[in-house]
Amino acid sequence: MDSTRWERIQNLFHEVADLPEPEQRVFLKAACGDDDVLVADVLALVEEDARGGSFLDRDLAEVAHQVLEEATSSALPFKEFGPYRIKKALGEGGMGVVYLAERVDLGSLVAIKLLRDAWLSPARRERFASEQRTLAQLNHPSIARLYDADTLDDGTPWFVMEYVEGVPLTEYCSEHTCSIEERLQLFRAVCEAVQYAHQHAVIHRDLKPSNILVKPDGTIRLLDFGIAKQLESLEAPAGRDQTLTGLRLMTPAYAAPEQVRGERVGIQTDVYSLGVILYELLTGGPPFDLSKLTPGEAEAVIVGQDPEKPSTIAQRSVETNPGILSVGKSAWADLDVLCLSAMHKDRQRRYQSVEALIRDIDHYLKGEPLEARPDSFHYRLGKFVRRNRRAVSAAALVFTVVVGLVIFFTVRLAKARNAALEEAARTQRIQRFMMNLFQGGDESVGPGDSMRVVTLLDRGVQEAQSLNGDPKVQAELYQTLGTIYDQLGKFDQADSLLHSALERRKTLFGPDSTEVAESLVALGQLRSDQAQYDDAEKFTRQGVEMTRRHLPPTHPRLGRALYALGEVLVNEGKYDQGIQVLDQAVQIQSAPGGVPADLAESLTELANAEFYAGHLDVSNSVNLRVLAMDRQLYGERHPNVAEDLINLGAIQSEWGHYTETERYYRQALDIIQNFYGKDHPETASAMTLLGRSLNSQGRFNEAADMLRQSLGIQERVYGEVHPRVASALGELGKVAMQQGKLDEAEADFRRQADIYREVYKGKHYYIGSALANLGGVYMERKQYARAERSFRDALQIYAQTLPANHLNVAIVRVKLGRALIPQRRYADAEAQSLAGYEVLTKQSNAPSNWLENARKDLVEEYGALHEPDKAAKFQAELAEADNTINASNK
Amino acid sequence: MRFRNNPLAKEIQPDEPGKSPEERRALDQLFSVTYEELRRLASSVRRSHPGATISPTTMVNEAWVKLAKSPQFASTSRLHFKRIAARAMRQVLVEAARRRNASKRGGGEDVTVITFDESQAQAASCGQDLLALDTALEELARIQPRQAMMVESRFFGGLDITETAALLEVSEATILRDWRAAKAWLAHELRRAT
Repeated sequence: MDSTRWERIQNLFHEVADLPEPEQRVFLKAACGDDDVLVADVLALVEEDARGGSFLDRDLAEVAHQVLEEATSSALPFKEFGPYRIKKALGEGGMGVVYLAERVDLGSLVAIKLLRDAWLSPARRERFASEQRTLAQLNHPSIARLYDADTLDDGTPWFVMEYVEGVPLTEYCSEHTCSIEERLQLFRAVCEAVQYAHQHAVIHRDLKPSNILVKPDGTIRLLDFGIAKQLESLEAPAGRDQTLTGLRLMTPAYAAPEQVRGERVGIQTDVYSLGVILYELLTGGPPFDLSKLTPGEAEAVIVGQDPEKPSTIAQRSVETNPGILSVGKSAWADLDVLCLSAMHKDRQRRYQSVEALIRDIDHYLKGEPLEARPDSFHYRLGKFVRRNRRAVSAAALVFTVVVGLVIFFTVRLAKARNAALEEAARTQRIQRFMMNLFQGGDESVGPGDSMRVVTLLDRGVQEAQSLNGDPKVQAELYQTLGTIYDQLGKFDQADSLLHSALERRKTLFGPDSTEVAESLVALGQLRSDQAQYDDAEKFTRQGVEMTRRHLPPTHPRLGRALYALGEVLVNEGKYDQGIQVLDQAVQIQSAPGGVPADLAESLTELANAEFYAGHLDVSNSVNLRVLAMDRQLYGERHPNVAEDLINLGAIQSEWGHYTETERYYRQALDIIQNFYGKDHPETASAMTLLGRSLNSQGRFNEAADMLRQSLGIQERVYGEVHPRVASALGELGKVAMQQGKLDEAEADFRRQADIYREVYKGKHYYIGSALANLGGVYMERKQYARAERSFRDALQIYAQTLPANHLNVAIVRVKLGRALIPQRRYADAEAQSLAGYEVLTKQSNAPSNWLENARKDLVEEYGALHEPDKAAKFQAELAEADNTINASNK
Repeated sequence: MRFRNNPLAKEIQPDEPGKSPEERRALDQLFSVTYEELRRLASSVRRSHPGATISPTTMVNEAWVKLAKSPQFASTSRLHFKRIAARAMRQVLVEAARRRNASKRGGGEDVTVITFDESQAQAASCGQDLLALDTALEELARIQPRQAMMVESRFFGGLDITETAALLEVSEATILRDWRAAKAWLAHELRRAT
């Protein structure tokens, strides 16, 4: 049949279909003549049309049911599952079917999970394989264990796991009318299993009561890692499995806002789900009723609606539910905080790890104050730590994540704490220490933030000194406080505290111990920050060696020590050695059991080392990896992510890709501004970077605008007279010069010089640099005498503050010569140009344009002074330099 | 040929050869989601909640909700997405029927006894009908692509008359006419085949 004929058949069909049967034949006979086949074709259609009920009238649901479901359950028992015999189907999900089976030789019961229709899609096969890998990796009493795995002849994969006979967590609790304490104990066990998974870089992503079974003996089992995510698979391009594994496959009622929005998930996503489960355990129902909502409405509720306090609901249901939920009012206040901190909409403000959540459960169970505080306080404390990049790293380093300095300290303590530390008296002491430390620490953001933190720390030191009866705790606190002082740039305090910690630990643990090793590493990092690199390298190396002697070669502490050594080497400029050491750290930290935050930090440093070593490609790809990791670990809008973006921008800038640079810097600025607020030095720094990149693109007006905003912030934060304000003025002045706005440039450079003069009491080469800039403005204006004066002033400052052979001295001499030539003072000019020239030729990194300028000037000067031989000499050098450049360009 | 000039031809088509890795990934996702939706549909029948039975329309809508954010479908209109989803539904179902058919016939002598109960016989005939429909649709696509697309969109994708008309850029009357004729022809073809 062709289309013309089909057209004809259809037309005839429509003509006759609704006629009475006899008339149909008459009509067709008349229309088709003796084409009997045509008549038959049309009549066949008419007949089908009249009959109706064809396959196309069937319900697709019915068809899908028949085609997809048929035979699965009945045909399976005939398949070979190794030594297992299928007994019955237990359940099914989107992925596969789970059967109860018996191991024939042992008689034991197992669960077999099988991927249905494995042929359909690589993504499904991969997800199934990933679940299997995850289970194989996890070996914990509360996680259903993997026993065996294989593939059927037709390629269908299956695996065998522990068969768990139990009831869902919430059901168990209501059936047994468990008390709050019993509920919390069960919940704690769940948290431990999840925490264990997190330590193995696995995020569950689908935590809900039906995936948590309680066995008759009261132990719990965590099931279904079907959409669990391996933290290590970070290189996967964004969006690849996001669509499928965000809300998509998980149960919306327990999904975190970031999951619903399809953003990256992290360990805090599991914390949220745990929070919802706790909510349900406390109140008997979920926080939101999503059952009658469309997916869009449910999404809006999860993202935007605050749940009622659990206590409010419990109070309401006292009549209906009297026996179970009877705890005191203040206990309920704590339970509210515990539960709502876990399910905070903002992932940064949740418990940052399951470990932190567990600690607060323990605090609750022991009747101690919680670490989490109602929102505002909690958040404010978090901000202290976040103000400093390395403080954040240190926080991350110790416990993957914590939302505040309070927790920061406590966890550091938890790390070191031995059995004795768990004694109630001691715990109370530490808590009191923490409380005292943060009393009055509620000032709002403004100038001198770090000062305030320092004030708090000073108070902390006094407290620590009073802990004489507790040398271990004291040493631990000195170590912690010293590290923070170091990060805040208070090196003297850091030095004395770290030394005290070291000495105490030597006495307590012996001179060759892991504790002493840790102290040595911290001291090494301090020396590195003080630019005392020999000591820095010595201490960190000793720390590394000592750690190696006491701990297995894969221990996270060794990774951290190696990271510190690598950082020192990079600071020393020993990039190749640094890269080598950091590679070792990365190797340890990327092995199973490594702490992802440690790894991210080492990779950042590695990327820096590669950058300094000039391996921009490598640096770029490492930075991209870190960016992906940090996004996963801290969320899209964390300062660490901004830091990564800035590093990436710097690489693009090196490559001369200024639009790319701008793009990265803008993203970074957006994050930083959002995080720290508009008036914050970090915001100003990011603006300065962005301003520079705009300047490189010749977009001077935008650059000036950005730099002026940055200046405004610094003036507000630091006051009008501060080196950072001066530095910002210098940037602005340079842009104004390029715009030809000489008056503005002059004003900027003048103020810059004045500030430096005042701050450094006339004794810093920065003053000279500002004056040299100012001289440049006068040169542009052809005010040579004024230019001369500025350059001479600069030279005088340099003479007091820099060695005679310093590059700056040489350049300002050449500049001075250039100011003298138009004044026809050739002999004076020659003396300056020659002096500058001689320093420049001896420097390996002298900027070639200044050397060229010096030679040109000397040619002119000797010409005017009638010394043609000397003029010819420099002329020849110019020609030679020119040739070299031309040659190298070819 | 009309089909090639149709804007739909530029959309990601499940059976279009020479796809880029991104497109392949998008299709992989599409098939996975489609499959899971079909399973949901199928099990809603088994559970036989009369009120809760899912229609192909809601199913395709769900697939849209799940995939609309993925980069490959971000610029696809909802209507065209439904059209693509309908094609995916067809391919998943047909492939499933084909495999089940093959395993039944090629099961080999080693297989013990397969008891053919009524429901299994029913299922088998349903699968064969589906395969026959697939073949007949291919034939129809050769003769009159617009009608084949219409049947596919309506039967597998649950598009209503208005949507189908908008998709194919014809009047609703034309769709009604075409539907009646194509259905009769396909029914006839199916009868001949089985």
